[in-house]
Amino acid sequence: MNLPILFVVLPMASAILLLLWRKPSKSRRILGMVVTGFLTLAAVFTAIDLAANATRLVLNLGAWSAPLGIVLVIDPLAAIMLSLSGFTALTCLIYAVFEGTPKAEHPLRIPLLFFLLTGINLSFITGDLFNLFVAFEIMLISSYSLLTLEADDRNVKHAFPYLAINLVGSTLFLIACGIAYSVFGSLNFAHMASQSSQVLENPLLPALAGLLMLVFCVKAGLFPLYFWLPNSYPILATPLGAFYAGMLTKVGVYVLLRLLTTVMPHELNYLHQLLAWMGGATMIFGVIGAVSRHYVRGILSFHILSQIGYMALAIGLFTPLALTACVLYIIHHIIVKASLFLVGGTITCLNGTDDLNRTGGLWKATPVLGICFLLQALSLAGIPPLSGFWGKFLIFSEGLAAGEYVLVAAALIAGILTLYSMLKIWLGAFWAPAPESGVRLDDPRWKPLTALISSMALVSLAIGLGVEWVFRIANTAALMAMDQAGYTRAVFEVLGKGGL
Amino acid sequence: MQIETAILVGFLFGVSIYLVLMKSFVRILFGFVLLSNAANLFLLSMSGDPSGKNAPIIREGGLPVDPLPQALILTAIVISFGVTAYLVVLLYRLFLDQKTTSAAELFREETESENGGKR
Repeated sequence: MNLPILFVVLPMASAILLLLWRKPSKSRRILGMVVTGFLTLAAVFTAIDLAANATRLVLNLGAWSAPLGIVLVIDPLAAIMLSLSGFTALTCLIYAVFEGTPKAEHPLRIPLLFFLLTGINLSFITGDLFNLFVAFEIMLISSYSLLTLEADDRNVKHAFPYLAINLVGSTLFLIACGIAYSVFGSLNFAHMASQSSQVLENPLLPALAGLLMLVFCVKAGLFPLYFWLPNSYPILATPLGAFYAGMLTKVGVYVLLRLLTTVMPHELNYLHQLLAWMGGATMIFGVIGAVSRHYVRGILSFHILSQIGYMALAIGLFTPLALTACVLYIIHHIIVKASLFLVGGTITCLNGTDDLNRTGGLWKATPVLGICFLLQALSLAGIPPLSGFWGKFLIFSEGLAAGEYVLVAAALIAGILTLYSMLKIWLGAFWAPAPESGVRLDDPRWKPLTALISSMALVSLAIGLGVEWVFRIANTAALMAMDQAGYTRAVFEVLGKGGL
Repeated sequence: MQIETAILVGFLFGVSIYLVLMKSFVRILFGFVLLSNAANLFLLSMSGDPSGKNAPIIREGGLPVDPLPQALILTAIVISFGVTAYLVVLLYRLFLDQKTTSAAELFREETESENGGKR
């Protein structure tokens, strides 16, 4: 089955094609949208199909079978992530189309976005630790370039801390690869998983696990390693900011989930405990940071952190239901967060700024945008029956069952503060009287932008209302990610040259 | 061999972490260059003690050294070369814009206006 390679080759081929086709034009954007739309559809159907049959798709690259060759594995969890990355990229491209003419954007923006997508997709489906490192580097170097591509002189310095911490993170990842090779004698996920019971006594294992966790906590933005994020994301153009906010940190969360459930031994209780507490601290500090900001994108950037905290807590609890909750939460969060960033961009478009002291009058001007914002904000805070509630509910019930009362209390407090900071945007941008400059309703851009945002709000509403169906897929995904024996069998069954 | 390598790796890590923690962005760049070299050397030491072993391309006599870490290092060198090139260009742009590469000076106005990151 050659399908897995499609998700890497297609974005890469279009990136190269777009790179050669330098002149900004409409057809260039249409190509981008067609490719991402196709990738999204393919990934959604794959996810549904794999979850229904509880199978995995395995591809031995160059017909070298595991553990000698590099394998690509799509299980339901990876397929879910692939559909989310495709969907977010698609909406960001559409937003960019409505936001400005083809000439307004830098000619390298779309090619770099596709390289970014290549790296993200490869890190979702790879079955090899060193290949994961390469995928991360593809993703990071495109993200550095995108971050600085359109930044103005005043803002470009904020990119430097982002670079510096990610470079150190990547180097630590490389070291972790080395330690993993000496502990497991292999870098193949399936081969590592098959030995997980034998390496428990190895004194290097805690070092390896701790180092891997440190690396991906940096990438995901967990407390106390998140300072690079809230200042660097707001310098991006709105559609790119939405893509970064939706996808990039979640790649870190996904890899944490993948490594802790599929690859590493399940007995690392001390590590799960540590992760849960880091998650708790991230929730609280992230949301306090959000309360302290007074411009929309700043508030939303801090919110990413606080939401990452919930996911980390869910992974830390490490029960099948908690991991299901984590998957559910990732699905909810990516869509809601991206669309909230787009709302922020539309506020900027209508008011000329996203400083909450100088915005206002939007509820009278465009109630549709207000309703979309409310739906997504309440969903972020976890009000039933919106999509955010279900993930949170599962995390709370699993946390209480595990006796982690302090962490559940922290999560509840973070939820209330989330509501408060969302209220701040609501009061500042929607209910406050219109500023002297007025609301720029003559700007033709806001109508299609609002339509796009409301379609995203509908998707997220559908997830909230049809949660039973989504839950079933997420549950299969989480259970299959935890099933180390099944993963190993699926990878080693596929025949090719080599093999042990 | 292993002990000397370990001491060298430790020394390189110490120096590079010291450099990365400094205020000047140029020193952070040098710190990163050293750090990636330290990491590569660390990876190399993961193939075990090389004494008495052959290079992996020689077939006759004795065991070959494990070639995989060397392959990994090659990839890592290429990647860190690309990233370093990017970093140098970014630093040059920062220097052209702001006439300084010191973090303390770059972010000074920031703390005064506290409106960081707003466009």
